[in-house]
Amino acid sequence: MLVPIFTLKLNHKINPRMVTIGKFDGVHPCLTAATQAGKVFIHNPHMRSQRQAAHRLSQSAQDSDISLLNINQAVSCLTAGTLRPSTTGDTLLVGTQTNLLAYDVHDNADIFYREVADGANAIVLGKLGNIESPLAIIGGNCALQGFDFNGHDQFWTVTGDNVRSLMLCDFTGDGKNELLVGSEDFDIRVFKEDELLSEMAENETVTSLCHMHGSRFGYALANGTVGVYDRTARYWRIKSKNHAMSIHAFDLNADGVVELITGWSNGKIDARSDRTGEVIFKDNFSSSVAGVVEGDYRMDGKTQLICTSVEGEVRGYLPASQEMKGNLMDSSVEQDLIRELCQRRQNLLLELRNYEENAKQDVLGASDGDSQMGVIPANTQLQTALSVRAATESQKAHIELSISTPNETIIRAVLIFAEGIFEGESHVVHPSTQNLSGCIRVPIIPPKDIPVDLHVKAFVGGKSSSQFHVFEITRQLPRFSMYDLHVDPEAPQPTGKVTFTINDRPQRVVMWLNQNFLLPEGVDTPDVAFTCLRGGGLLSLSMLSTSGEMTLNTDDIDLAGDLVQSLSSFLAMDDLQSQADFPTYFGELRTTLTEVDDYHSVHQKLTAAIADHSNNIRTMLVQAEDARLMGDMKNMKKRYIELYDLNRDLINEYKIRSNNHNALLACLKSVNQAIQRAGRLRVGKPKNQVITACRDAIKNNNVNALFKIMRAGTASS
Amino acid sequence: MEINLNRTDYLQVGVTSQKTMRLLPALGRKATQKVAVADHDGVITCFGMKKGEAVPVFKTLPGHKITRLDLGGAIGTPQEKIFVCAGSEVKGFTKKGKQFLSFEANLTESINAMHVSGADLFVCASYIYNHYCDCKDQDYYLSGDKINDIVCLPAENLGRIVPVLACQDRVLRVLQGSELLYQIEVPGPPSVLELYNRDGGTNSEDILYGTVDGKLGQIRLTDTSSSSKWEIDNEKKKGGVLCIDTFDILGDGVKDILVGRDDGTVEVYGFDSSNEPTLRFEHVLSESVTSIQGGCVGKESYEEVLTATYTGWLTGLTTEPQQAEAGPGEEVKMSRETQSKVAALRAELDQLQMKVLQGREKYQQTSQSSTAVSAVPVFSVNDKFTLCQDDASYSLALEVQTAIDNLLLQSDVPIDLLDVDKNSAVVSFSECDSEPNGNFLLATYRCQANTTRLELKVRSIEGQYGTLQAYITPRLQPKTCQVRQYLIKPLSLHQRTHAIDQNRPMNTLSLVGQFSFAEIHSWVVFCLPEVPEKTPAGENITFYFQNTFLGTQLEATYCKGEGHFKSDNISTISILKDVFSKEATKRKINLNISYDINEESVGHTLRMIHPKLEYQLLLAKKVQLIDALKELQVHEGNTDFLIPEYRNILDESDYLVEEYKKQPAHLERLYGMITDLFIDKFKFKGQNVKTKVSLLLEILDNYDLDSLMNFFNEA
Repeated sequence: MLVPIFTLKLNHKINPRMVTIGKFDGVHPCLTAATQAGKVFIHNPHMRSQRQAAHRLSQSAQDSDISLLNINQAVSCLTAGTLRPSTTGDTLLVGTQTNLLAYDVHDNADIFYREVADGANAIVLGKLGNIESPLAIIGGNCALQGFDFNGHDQFWTVTGDNVRSLMLCDFTGDGKNELLVGSEDFDIRVFKEDELLSEMAENETVTSLCHMHGSRFGYALANGTVGVYDRTARYWRIKSKNHAMSIHAFDLNADGVVELITGWSNGKIDARSDRTGEVIFKDNFSSSVAGVVEGDYRMDGKTQLICTSVEGEVRGYLPASQEMKGNLMDSSVEQDLIRELCQRRQNLLLELRNYEENAKQDVLGASDGDSQMGVIPANTQLQTALSVRAATESQKAHIELSISTPNETIIRAVLIFAEGIFEGESHVVHPSTQNLSGCIRVPIIPPKDIPVDLHVKAFVGGKSSSQFHVFEITRQLPRFSMYDLHVDPEAPQPTGKVTFTINDRPQRVVMWLNQNFLLPEGVDTPDVAFTCLRGGGLLSLSMLSTSGEMTLNTDDIDLAGDLVQSLSSFLAMDDLQSQADFPTYFGELRTTLTEVDDYHSVHQKLTAAIADHSNNIRTMLVQAEDARLMGDMKNMKKRYIELYDLNRDLINEYKIRSNNHNALLACLKSVNQAIQRAGRLRVGKPKNQVITACRDAIKNNNVNALFKIMRAGTASS
Repeated sequence: MEINLNRTDYLQVGVTSQKTMRLLPALGRKATQKVAVADHDGVITCFGMKKGEAVPVFKTLPGHKITRLDLGGAIGTPQEKIFVCAGSEVKGFTKKGKQFLSFEANLTESINAMHVSGADLFVCASYIYNHYCDCKDQDYYLSGDKINDIVCLPAENLGRIVPVLACQDRVLRVLQGSELLYQIEVPGPPSVLELYNRDGGTNSEDILYGTVDGKLGQIRLTDTSSSSKWEIDNEKKKGGVLCIDTFDILGDGVKDILVGRDDGTVEVYGFDSSNEPTLRFEHVLSESVTSIQGGCVGKESYEEVLTATYTGWLTGLTTEPQQAEAGPGEEVKMSRETQSKVAALRAELDQLQMKVLQGREKYQQTSQSSTAVSAVPVFSVNDKFTLCQDDASYSLALEVQTAIDNLLLQSDVPIDLLDVDKNSAVVSFSECDSEPNGNFLLATYRCQANTTRLELKVRSIEGQYGTLQAYITPRLQPKTCQVRQYLIKPLSLHQRTHAIDQNRPMNTLSLVGQFSFAEIHSWVVFCLPEVPEKTPAGENITFYFQNTFLGTQLEATYCKGEGHFKSDNISTISILKDVFSKEATKRKINLNISYDINEESVGHTLRMIHPKLEYQLLLAKKVQLIDALKELQVHEGNTDFLIPEYRNILDESDYLVEEYKKQPAHLERLYGMITDLFIDKFKFKGQNVKTKVSLLLEILDNYDLDSLMNFFNEA
């Protein structure tokens, strides 16, 4: 059994996912973590120097090993590593919702302090693609930004939603690092500099990513899933009812291959094999795990796995020695093997007994069957059908899954397990006893256009049965299922459209339509119109067979983007340029852009006002204290009352400021999203061109150019 | 004294009931003992271990489900005859497997507890106790509640027969002939009885008991009275006790108590110098421990604790040290015995696999025929739905003999599902449509591989009653699921007690009407948990109950045509009134309901709630302060500047947080009950005060007992 080689109690809370190890003087590794009240602590047990408290750094009064760094803002991410190639020590990078600080702990000096409007939810440090110097890449609200050691912004791009996790690895195997981004729209995206290489759709917010080896990486989702990808293929995943707080790759059993170490919200730590996900080691903390890192903390040349809990408990584990032979847990392999084999034997015996008893029933005849047992005709087969249902007065528009039995048996309940379309991972239909029948209709409303596998389990039996047969069926819901072929001729035609040219036969487009839409009879022409059930409005597609020019008419720019992406990947197109116009959406965006300017100016005004007030406070406090020392109680009271009023004003102003800031953030997010959406109307190179050009237009504050680019797809002309 | 026991698995038989495994007496001084175990398939397996392999002595043919196994024999000779009961029949086998006895007890119900001693045979079937001597009927007794277990003090030493019944209504009944000698109140419904030291101790008067809610105790029984020697509470909320044995596994010359519980816990209690039992060893198996025995099975001169679990595993926890086989620098080597064992198993598996494939094919073929039916035998489910006294919530434990795939929970009453740490299944709540399908809870549990036992917790609200249904689907082809139903009764948080405090101000509800004793009893069964379903013998009956959450009480006295219900909690009375009138209307019985409301009782109940509420409010307030205080502590470096109260909070912070986590939604529940109390108080006065509830909640937010009392009095 593997036991920790050291345990520390730091007496400081640790914010989850904000733990790192840095060698700030180039030699001694220090555990660094964000703690409550906008502070970062640095644990340095190696040098008990009495450093002077100055600037940001102050010595903790309780513990001489710990120094505290005042950030004065809630820390949202931090990391440490080599940012400036010439220096020996590591740089500490701390991100908050508004700023990024690069800090030299050894010299106790700021390297740079940059305002980042999109916030920093996640941070990673390292080399990216062909960019020479190492970058500190932060992920904020829909935006990614990379800074070099001068604080110059060397890299910028947008992504689909708020970034929650980042990772650098050589995904393509070309010797250069790619950036992997996990975001709140459930996607893992791979960027080769600012070119989007691939997207992997998951079913929850991607909270952590970690590089394993080669092109293999681990990921964790907000719903308790942990797994491993190799490139775009998922190797394995497991789901727990707890949440994975931190994941890390470390070779704990010393077999030369790293394992995925996961720290869970219930305080559990486990190490899983990268190939199978089998648990090879586990341990427990008394509180939630905050972070898992590695470092040579004892300075003896061996790297330890270091796990920290939110209550400040730290444990270090050395990789297993030879004697343990990879058997890290306190159990006997042979006992387990025998037990497993016996379990399998027992299962087979039970199954065999089921068949034997079943055969006996057959001989006895159907009439004799005990109603408790839930006897059903052997030829019972479930029929399932998917159809689109438009909205009625009593029910919202939905997709109907109807499940029925061919005979007098009833369906007691239906369980549907599917990812990403229900609130939890399952949906249950359980009719009351008086409503039991052989047919159940399940309304399904997928919130997004994603293809979903519906794993249906139906309990079939008699009305009074206490045991039921379980029928398991898997049906696939096509990507664009919430679109109805019935079109109201009166409905207004959409004003938005995308036009592009494809070099393929119309039949291929028809094939794509039949595969991706829920069409009862199928279509034979690429010119079709649908009603969007989710938001209303029409969607029409048309194609000129002569030139291959395709037009998508819809007011929903997201839908247009999804269709373009889906069609282009179906037709295996690497590049696609398109012309687009979405008057309504562009109008909204224009308003948003003006709002951004307004919020900016309000922000500046408020900042000035606050500076003014704080000056007043200073003088008032001095006056009040003077009065107190002179024994002039009346005056002192007056001053303090004034001070109290001013303080209240300040709090109110702060509230206004914070509201203003939040509104600003929301606007910036929607601007970033707009760029992303404009990008999604194109594929490959044209897509990156659009994003870069849009970014430049925003930088230069050229609103008209921005819209031109979004329409035409290029900056020129 | 530390003890280290190593686990070894011996054999798997079918699903086992409680107390169906015994060790046969050893032949030599140091020889290994044979094991006799009986299962639900009706098979008795007797085996011994030779060189690490289970060698069968005999195995009987399948038959009825066996519910108990006991050893017996003529007094003075080794107790090595095996007795089993299946259905209403008792069978006897010699240690070689020859059947020498088959005795039909002619009971209408099947036997669920049995004790054999010399020529005396004691059997119990739900409410009935029977004593036979040489298979001739001797005594008979009808108990007031279900009998869970029976034991009889050794007659050869005492000179008289003293049978003791463990009854569900929290008493042990000591009999003399066909008469009740006296009864002993125990802290929970007793589930198992055993003679101390297997012979009743030095005076042959000591028995051990275990309860459904996990308590343990030893009692000395004399001719006329009893005295408790010790009692162990179930503070850590472990499972209910299923089996007990006495054996000196620690090797200190004092007999230890071995305990097996239904959550898989195996415990060894040793006795210290002051003769108090202390926990010395604990091991958790993954499934219910149905039988436990101390002895020597695996290897001579190594003593061990042998357990049988629900799914039929016989597992030893042995004092034999585990061999350190792996030398440095080589692959893990299995011993030759294990290797051959594994090879044999694999061969057997392959064969079985073939057979199963054939069976599967045949089964598939029947689906083509239009006349054939598909009927899968019912798999056995071991379930337990019990009220936990400490947090006033129900715990549901489900156990299946093979791995569970998923579980669907459905309820037609509003209930809360609580998270249980032991339960690793992924829960997912589904949207509920209370109209028209009457679902208030739809939740699925997707289990991790190899989960055979699942435990969950449910919190109910008094006054809202209905059914909780669990659909269990095991990982077994052809896939089937079984539904189990659990009643959530109107007064679901009440528990039987032995006596109540008569000095409290009481409200009374009286029923008069044309109903039979059985009818009113059925209504009481419908309303309250832990009431025997059988109509009690005699003219009238009184039951006492306690509300586990508030500590208020209820006395129910009724007979034919009349019923009186007294409680200090007006809400309890109100709920009873509603249910009774509904039930009576359903059966078209004209019921005359009258009530006598004691104004004082409301104040009394509020005062009872007061300390709980105050404690919770204070706790919430303190917990809220912890983070801020901690920050101050970090900032200032010490806590000397804080006032003692705050320093105290910091010192106790871990405990406070723990306590706060333990009782989620406790405050909300208390608020809910106070609101009910308020509404019910005025309901009896014929006033509807629902509009004033918001005012009440406002008062609760700034809680103070006096202002709350005033509000209750004025409104």
